[in-house]
Amino acid sequence: MIAFDRVSKRYATGQTALTNISFELQKGELAFLTGHSGAGKSTLLKLILAMEPISGGRLQINGRDMKSLKARQIPEHRQHIGTVFQDHQLLMDRSVADNIALPLRVSAYGEQEIRRRVRAALDKVGLLSKEKLNPARLSGGEQQRVGIARAIVNRPRIILADEPTGNLDPALSAEIMELFRQFRQIGVCLLIASHDASLIGSLGERVLTLDHGRLVNDSGASSHG
Amino acid sequence: MAKQARNAKYTSLLTNHREDARSSWKRLVAAPVSSLMTVTVIAIALLLPSFLMVLNANLEAVVDSFRQSARITLYLESGVSVESAAEVSNNLLQRDDIVQAEYISQQQALADFSRRSGLDSLLGQFSENPLPAAIVLTPASTNLALVSSLAEELSALPEVDQVQLDADWIRRADALATALTILARGLGAIFLLGVCFIIGNTIKLGVEHRRDEIRVIKLVGGSHSFIARPFLYTGFYLGGLGGITALLLLLALLAAVQGPVAAFAGSDNFQRPGLAALLLLILGGALAGWLSALLASWHHIRQIDP
Repeated sequence: MIAFDRVSKRYATGQTALTNISFELQKGELAFLTGHSGAGKSTLLKLILAMEPISGGRLQINGRDMKSLKARQIPEHRQHIGTVFQDHQLLMDRSVADNIALPLRVSAYGEQEIRRRVRAALDKVGLLSKEKLNPARLSGGEQQRVGIARAIVNRPRIILADEPTGNLDPALSAEIMELFRQFRQIGVCLLIASHDASLIGSLGERVLTLDHGRLVNDSGASSHG
Repeated sequence: MAKQARNAKYTSLLTNHREDARSSWKRLVAAPVSSLMTVTVIAIALLLPSFLMVLNANLEAVVDSFRQSARITLYLESGVSVESAAEVSNNLLQRDDIVQAEYISQQQALADFSRRSGLDSLLGQFSENPLPAAIVLTPASTNLALVSSLAEELSALPEVDQVQLDADWIRRADALATALTILARGLGAIFLLGVCFIIGNTIKLGVEHRRDEIRVIKLVGGSHSFIARPFLYTGFYLGGLGGITALLLLLALLAAVQGPVAAFAGSDNFQRPGLAALLLLILGGALAGWLSALLASWHHIRQIDP
C-alpha cells in the first residue's frame, strides 16, 4: 500500500528533509513514525498525500507511482487516504455531521448514503449523540475523534495520522490508539506519526524512527523484508 | 450495476449543484448591504452602454430620414428641347435605382430662383434666361457609394451637362451614426471589463474568507471544480442580478426620455429595446459574472496550499 524506495526530499531552498528512505507498509499493517521534531515526520506524510513532490527515489501509494501522478489526479489520490491532524482541522462553521460528511460530498455520494456513513463513522468513535453539535462545543478528545471519524468515513485504504494524541492526556491517547488498532482488522494500512515514546513502546507495534531525515531504525524491517 | 452506480453519481452531482446554488444564494442574502452595493455597481456599469445603444437605435431613425433626402440633380445642356428632356426623365424613371424624377424647365427654374432670392430686378437685366433646365432625381438606395456611382453613370448621358450630388447630409448622418456606434461599443467593452473586475474581486475576497475551508477540502481530496462551484454560482447571481437591476433602471430612464427623443427623431414611434435585447442584458450580465468568477476562482484557489 505504501512503498518507499530510497526516497529523498530536498526543498527548493536547498534544505534536505529526507534522505534515502526505504520501507513498506502492507494492507492491514500499522506502524508508528517517530523521531524528534524536525526529523522529517511531517514531510514524509506530505509526500504520501502528494502535498510535496519527491526529489529522488521511488514512492508507490496504492500501487501508483507518485512521480506519474498528474496534478488533476491528486484529488482522487487523496480521496483514498484518510488523514488525522494534530490540530484536527475541523470547520467550526458547521455541525459535527457536516464536518464528517465533507470527504463524501467531495466524492459526490448521495445524501442518503452520506447520512448512513456519517452515522456509522460517528458510532465507531462513540459520538453518535453529538452529531448535530458544533465541534467548538466538544472537548479536545472529542474533537480529535470527530477528526478520526472524518478520516475513516470514506473507507480509505490508508490512514495517516500526524500527532493524533499530541494534545490529549494519557488515558484519552490510549483510547484513540486502541481505535486505530481496530481499523487494522478491516484491512486498512495505518501510519501514525508520534513522538509519544512511552505510549508507542507500550503498544508493541512496528516503529519507524527518523533522525535528521534518515530512517535510523525500523523495528519491523526483519519481518517484512 | 455499473450503470446504476453511474446514475447515482449523476443524481448526487445534481444534488451537490443544487446545494451549492442554494448555499451561494444564502451567502449573498446573508450580507445584504455588500451584495446590494456590488449588484448596483454592476448594474450601473451595464446600464450606460445599454442606454447608449437604445439612443443610438433612435438616432438611426433620424439618420435614415436624412438618408432619404439625398438628391441627384442633372443640369441639362442648353440645346435640349423640352420634349427630349421629358423623354430622358421618363427613361430614368424606368430604372430600378431611381424612385422619382422631376423635370424643372428653364422658366420654372428662373421663377423658383427669383421667388427665393428676391433678385427680380437683377434677373431682368439678362437678355436671356441664364439658368439651365434640370431633372431632380430621388435615388432608391440610401447607400452613399451606390448613389455616387449612379451619379457618375448619369453624367455620361449626352443630354446632361453637369451632375450635382446632394449627399452632404448622408455623409454627416453616416458619420454621426458611426461615431455613436463606436462610442456605445467601446464604452460597452470598457464597462464590461469593469464588471468582470468587480466580480473577480468579490470572488477573491470570498476565497480569502473561506481559506481554511478550502484547505481542508483540498486535504480530503476535493477537486478544483468542487471547490470553485459555489463561487461560480456567486458570480452568476451577481452578474444576473446586476443585469436585472440595469434592465429596470434602463426602462425607467427610457420612460423619462421617451417624449423628447421621439420629438427629436420626428416620429411618434419611439424605438424600445426588444425583448431579446433585454434578455441579452440579463444573460450577458450572468455570463460575464460566471466567466469572471471562473477566472478569479481558478487563480485564487490554486494559490491555496493544503
